[in-house]
Amino acid sequence: MYFAGVDIGSTMTKVVIVDEDGELCSRIVGPTGAEHRRLANRVMEEALKQANLPFNQISYVVATGYGRVNVPFADRQITELSCHAKGVSSLFPNVRIAIDIGGQDAKGMKIINGTLVDFVMNDKCAAGTGRFLEVVSDALGIKVEDLGSISLRSTNKVKISSVCTIFAQQEVVSYLSEGTPLEDIVAGLHEAIAGRVVRMVKRLKIEPDVVLTGGVAKNIGVVKAVRENIGLEVLVPEDPLLSGALGAAILGKETVLKALAKGELIPKKERRLEEATFFT
Amino acid sequence: MVQEKKRAINRLQTMRPIRAEIDETYKANVEASKAGNPIAWAMLTIWLGDAIFHAMDIGATYPESYGAVCAASGAAQSYLDRSDEEGFPTHMCGYARNCIGYAARMMKDCGGEIPPEAPMGGMPKPAVLLSRGMSCDAGFKWFQALARYMDTPMWTLEMPIPGVKEGLSEEVRERNVAFMTKELRDFVSFMESVFGRKMDWDKLSQTVQDLEAIGRVWYETSELRKAIPCPMHSRDFWTCMSGPSTPTGDLKKKLKLYQDLYEEVKDRVENKVSAVVQEKYRVGFTELPPWHSLKLFDTLAERGWNFVVETWGYHPAVPIDLTGVNDPLERLARISYSGLTTSCFQGAAQAGEYMGFLGYPNLKYAEEYKLDGFFLHPLLSCRAASAHLWYVQDRLMQKLKVPSLMVEGDIVDVRMFDLADALKKAEAFEEIMDHYKEVRKKEGMEW
Amino acid sequence: MPVAEETKGLSRVKELYQDRPQRVKELKGEGRKVIGYLCIYPVVEMMTALDLVPYRLFGDMREPITKADACLPPMVCPFLRSSLDLALKDKYPFLDGMVMAHICDVGERMAHIWRTYVDYPYFYFMDVPHTTHKSALDMFKEEIKGFQKSLESFTGKEISAEKLKQAIRVHNDQRALVRELYDLRKTDPPLITGTEVLQVMVALAGIPVGEGNELLRDVINEIKQREEKSPKQAARLLVWGSVIDDVSLIEIIENAGANVVMDDICVGTRSHWSEVELTPDPLDGIAYRYLVGIKCPRTFREAALDPKGKNYMADLENRFGYLKDYVRGWNVNGVILQSVRYCDTHGYEVPAVRDYLNSLGLPSVYLEHDYSQSSLAPLRTRIEAFLEVLG
Repeated sequence: MYFAGVDIGSTMTKVVIVDEDGELCSRIVGPTGAEHRRLANRVMEEALKQANLPFNQISYVVATGYGRVNVPFADRQITELSCHAKGVSSLFPNVRIAIDIGGQDAKGMKIINGTLVDFVMNDKCAAGTGRFLEVVSDALGIKVEDLGSISLRSTNKVKISSVCTIFAQQEVVSYLSEGTPLEDIVAGLHEAIAGRVVRMVKRLKIEPDVVLTGGVAKNIGVVKAVRENIGLEVLVPEDPLLSGALGAAILGKETVLKALAKGELIPKKERRLEEATFFT
Repeated sequence: MVQEKKRAINRLQTMRPIRAEIDETYKANVEASKAGNPIAWAMLTIWLGDAIFHAMDIGATYPESYGAVCAASGAAQSYLDRSDEEGFPTHMCGYARNCIGYAARMMKDCGGEIPPEAPMGGMPKPAVLLSRGMSCDAGFKWFQALARYMDTPMWTLEMPIPGVKEGLSEEVRERNVAFMTKELRDFVSFMESVFGRKMDWDKLSQTVQDLEAIGRVWYETSELRKAIPCPMHSRDFWTCMSGPSTPTGDLKKKLKLYQDLYEEVKDRVENKVSAVVQEKYRVGFTELPPWHSLKLFDTLAERGWNFVVETWGYHPAVPIDLTGVNDPLERLARISYSGLTTSCFQGAAQAGEYMGFLGYPNLKYAEEYKLDGFFLHPLLSCRAASAHLWYVQDRLMQKLKVPSLMVEGDIVDVRMFDLADALKKAEAFEEIMDHYKEVRKKEGMEW
Repeated sequence: MPVAEETKGLSRVKELYQDRPQRVKELKGEGRKVIGYLCIYPVVEMMTALDLVPYRLFGDMREPITKADACLPPMVCPFLRSSLDLALKDKYPFLDGMVMAHICDVGERMAHIWRTYVDYPYFYFMDVPHTTHKSALDMFKEEIKGFQKSLESFTGKEISAEKLKQAIRVHNDQRALVRELYDLRKTDPPLITGTEVLQVMVALAGIPVGEGNELLRDVINEIKQREEKSPKQAARLLVWGSVIDDVSLIEIIENAGANVVMDDICVGTRSHWSEVELTPDPLDGIAYRYLVGIKCPRTFREAALDPKGKNYMADLENRFGYLKDYVRGWNVNGVILQSVRYCDTHGYEVPAVRDYLNSLGLPSVYLEHDYSQSSLAPLRTRIEAFLEVLG
């Protein structure tokens, strides 16, 4: 049996197909873009092609993320909080705190025995999300993916005092004009984003194991700064973008296997692999 | 030969021993607590609670002031962050966040001992909490929230504040004074049972007398600031303002210090000595100053800005006739209610103004101190001191053609206040003040 | 034009919810005087006793705030800003007067600002003490007397003790009827949705008390006989916090798959749970009910003063023990704490309430919004995630 998880984030869309042992059969990551309503089925098609499976072989589809309402072929929608919690626990069974820093939001999840028990979210403010790093890397004239390695060279990171992304940008410009070394500015920015996220997550009472996911987790400078702010080891999965889709697929698997064990009908609806329409 | 740069603000000499005395108190409190003497954490209760502490030999420390200390020394940030982590909203009073963060740190991390990084000796764990219900809700909600961290008995002192029209009658005044007096009496009983010691009523009467004496001198000093040019800058006022209402240390000695202050200010008036090098603009400040960026005033002084008066609950109590009032608690209640809270109500009613404790004093001071403008400082985390400022700006313009400058900030979060931006705005505001001076002249106003 | 049959029950409720001033405009045409008030501390019994029609003002989540920006800064309670904004936009030409109370910092300052910019034949500001000390009760009783005198002066009539007791009885009847309505939420699934209950409470706030009682009786009967039932949901939630005067938030919660079966807000239990005891001097009962009976965090409440020290759990029990009754009586299994941004009164309270709920083993989530339609959508994810946590 096969199960699919579709995670439509504000920046990236991820699809994962797993089998009944939870083994990964395919993974697709692509930019969400403005047309995400019409995108989900195309990305799903790609994932099916990669796994060499027809759509009707997928026993259950769970949609998650910001755009989860726009996946008409999904059997169920589950929030990205539960899905991330599940996905991260499947990779790190002893996880207690999962932190996800995405393109436009940041979340902290408290997990006990693989179940989400509490959470905090920031989805109002760009500071403390991937957007922050995009804006400031633009101001610095460097690529987002280079930020991490640059920051590791720093020995004297600057202090970014602005709470707001826009003002932080101004601070960056003024540091540059003073001739401050690039790596010190970048390290300071990483400290700013890590500090902000960790402060929010501390409301959940942090204890090990701590796992960091999301696009921003690919930035080794941010990972280092998060580690320093928490004072504990921070684990990062090989593929930090996939935990939401993975968790969604696993939740689908659990739903079906539980129903089968009880001899119940699999709770899903008639669905076709097609575009979302605006007025359903 | 190096020419020493003349300081733009001509600080009063007699301010220094007062400041030294206040600084001593922090340290004294810490020492007293180490020696086993109980300490209270108190909100500024506008004359009400502090004499009682003093008369019962209980030291008091003021988390609001400590918030300002932490802000000025840059230590506040870690406590603010801690308050966020504890689950308190970020928009709350900066002093409250600082204190809650401090309390969490002290009790959870340091086993009840003063955290090592705490500036100015820190605040020792309190034996009692005194809060108030009047000038702001945080006043009691914040201390109530401290119960999460310490099992410390708490009392909330009531301070009624009627509307201007509703509060004009003698009946309402007497009722409110009776209420406050009873509250103070109950507070004394509470303190007696918490600390197992009796109130020394003679000492209390003496303390109140001493405070009244200091208060009268302080009031007279403030009146002298009406002179042109103004002899005493707001910076000196803020440094010294806690004296009359917070009776720490030797009160007779303190009275002498304030008398010296008065003499120096009087002397300056007689010799037309200004508090700034050249008084070009007479400005009022409303409400809570940016403790972390007081150098703003030095820079403005260089441009001729003399800050001659400030509003908020710490303006000096207007002396009232207390003959025949022998009960020291009733004296305190009357000073607080009639000398401070409602002291401007008659004037407000006559002027047709509805905001009597805040708001109307701005109009009153603009006239009495001949102000060219007001510096209004709304604070992101203090609604109590900011909600009315747009209204105040409008009333000042409508009624008196006095302009005001709105510069935002926060009481402890230094990142909210932009010094460069404030100075830029101030520069532009000078033109506006000049313009309205002309407007007032044309309208035949006195200043 | 055909005379439409008078709408009754839930249809009438929906009518009054959509068009709040409908009834008071009619009454005004009949020569009645309408007094607007904010919050639940203005003593409605006084107004009823003089045949005045109390009309509670709310804001409007769908109306962008424009005029109030000139009088109030943006970082204060958006509900109060909206309320003032509507008054400045002359949405209340039918008001003969306003009563406001010292509900919170911004509420107090705004009362004086409101009075400055909008002219009414009658305006009264009630000072409400912040503690429940005996001396506070005594003071508050006098304050209510002052309010009474001002109303008498405005109407030229006197309120006899008997007239006042009559008014108390009718208002108490409404409170009892509301509790009867709330009993219908105890079943599984509840016979009436949270959305419908809020509509009823909003409707009641805009009509005279006697008419409200009639409406309640109709609604209760209608609900009891209703065939279609709302779906059973695993989550039976209590909503706590600052004022909710619009169903959108409740709808989002219920649409996410939960039943809102109980509340602790001032358009709900806080305004109607506690009755006025008919004391020989009616003012004693009134003062007690309003200062002590109403459970709002704006009043400082603590466990009986124990000079030996404080016990945090005992204090929490004293402050929030009534929630346990709600939880048990209505079989609540989760709590949504919500408040408008910048509400200090509720903001300070949240960690303590959560501590109490944790001690009861009740999961909770805290939502903050800025009282605008657009701020509600992002809450969906948090609400859904909370329901997933509840499992």
